[in-house]
Amino acid sequence: MIEMLFHDWLKDDSKIILFDGGMGSEIFKRGIKPGNLPDALNIDKSDVIYEIHKAYYDAGADMCQTNTFGASYLNLQIYKLENKINEINKRALEIIKKACPPNHLIVADIGPSGEFRPPVGKASQDQWLSSFIQQVNFLENGVDLWHIETMSDIEEMVAAIEAIRGISTKPIISSMTYKKTKRGFFTIMGDSLEKCVQIQEIANVDVIGANCTLGSKEMVELIQELKNLTNKPLSAKPNAGQPRIDSNNRVHYDQPIKDFVSDIGKIIQLGTKVVGGCCGTSPDTIRDIRKVIDSL
Amino acid sequence: MAQEHFFKEISDAIVNLDKEKAINLAHKAVFENMNLLEVIEKGFGDGIRRIGDLWEEGEFFLPELMLGGTIMQESMEILLPKLKSSGENITLGTVVIATIEGDIHSIGKTIVGTMLSANGFEVYDLGADVPAEHIINIAMEKNADVIGVSALLTTTMFGQKKIIDILEKKGLRSKFKVVIGGAPVNKSWAEECKADGFAGSAIEAVKLVKTLLNK
Repeated sequence: MIEMLFHDWLKDDSKIILFDGGMGSEIFKRGIKPGNLPDALNIDKSDVIYEIHKAYYDAGADMCQTNTFGASYLNLQIYKLENKINEINKRALEIIKKACPPNHLIVADIGPSGEFRPPVGKASQDQWLSSFIQQVNFLENGVDLWHIETMSDIEEMVAAIEAIRGISTKPIISSMTYKKTKRGFFTIMGDSLEKCVQIQEIANVDVIGANCTLGSKEMVELIQELKNLTNKPLSAKPNAGQPRIDSNNRVHYDQPIKDFVSDIGKIIQLGTKVVGGCCGTSPDTIRDIRKVIDSL
Repeated sequence: MAQEHFFKEISDAIVNLDKEKAINLAHKAVFENMNLLEVIEKGFGDGIRRIGDLWEEGEFFLPELMLGGTIMQESMEILLPKLKSSGENITLGTVVIATIEGDIHSIGKTIVGTMLSANGFEVYDLGADVPAEHIINIAMEKNADVIGVSALLTTTMFGQKKIIDILEKKGLRSKFKVVIGGAPVNKSWAEECKADGFAGSAIEAVKLVKTLLNK
């Protein structure tokens, strides 16, 4: 059963699971106009999304995630696309299924709702929960596991985990996004790494991770701390440095792939089970990480 | 001495995010006919600066920043009418702030607006997804000193440059200081689009705007 495959991988000490890289940065490389929600492309430009998934699987990724980062009810509402929640999520599944080779996995991507809790915003735990439940319902039949990512509020993470657990028994990777402060790694809402790990352990997620915000160098530091806080399998998807815009209005990420990949090597040495990239990483990055993993 | 103690009490109320106490002390200052400029500078202003320091030290995060900023704003609403009626002008300058067209992310921009306002600037927050031309029109109408433009997406950052291009084309560039911010924005982008500066957080934004206006 394919659903068991991820658990088998987790149990296999010699297996490092290669995730995919950035989606947004790849979309814009392909000339998509700014200002739109990338998730809406599942309807309008499904060929582009297919091409990106396929490039990641071809580059050696064991699993890729659906183009549904922003397709929760609350986030779609901000873009006035909430009436398309069904179509956007369903189309995302169809596209990735076409691209996914045998014995590879499909991960459902769940991103933040875009709404903060008071005093920063107005969202309540119940609103988060019902927003995620709606999205999870559309994705459950078709994915192998879940990746909740880029969460800067552990309470919102808990709502997303709860939404999935009410509907699905599939594995969950739960990735918070941290910034480095003088006192260590915290989310912008003030949740410490330690607190986040504790709560993720209580929620009994399958893999505890971090993604986005931090570049690969800082992610090495974070993983060092993370492995001292938990015995759960770890996941890391750092950014490829900071974006730069050239005179032709094109976005570049200047960190050389070899530097990023060398940091991923360190992250693996520290015992991380799942590795991949976030903003600014590409199929080329994943291809080079594949080489590192295969040489282990 | 008693006065110093009073200022300290206000500053502590702000840092402790004690809204009730801050509001009560603002009323007390008005009722007792105190020198309100001094009350703002040494009491409330001191508190909001300490919140900024705590943010930089990694002690405070978004919830504290936002709460501190709104307590400060509410306190100022008690003090400002009295000050204005006595002919005092304590505004450090006028800032028109918005998230650029095509970008619906408003939280970072709102926090910057709140902190600027808490630090004594008159702030006009135009919201998110605002066309460049509209931002410039309002800046002209309000006779703003500073235009602040936020972009959270690498794809909408161009809009920040568009503002500056339009200002240059219309011969209005020297009328405003233009500052930019947002997750993907950095120093090299600020230089590339000839902005007057960029800030990586609301606290940096306050410092930047104060420096640009020599306050």
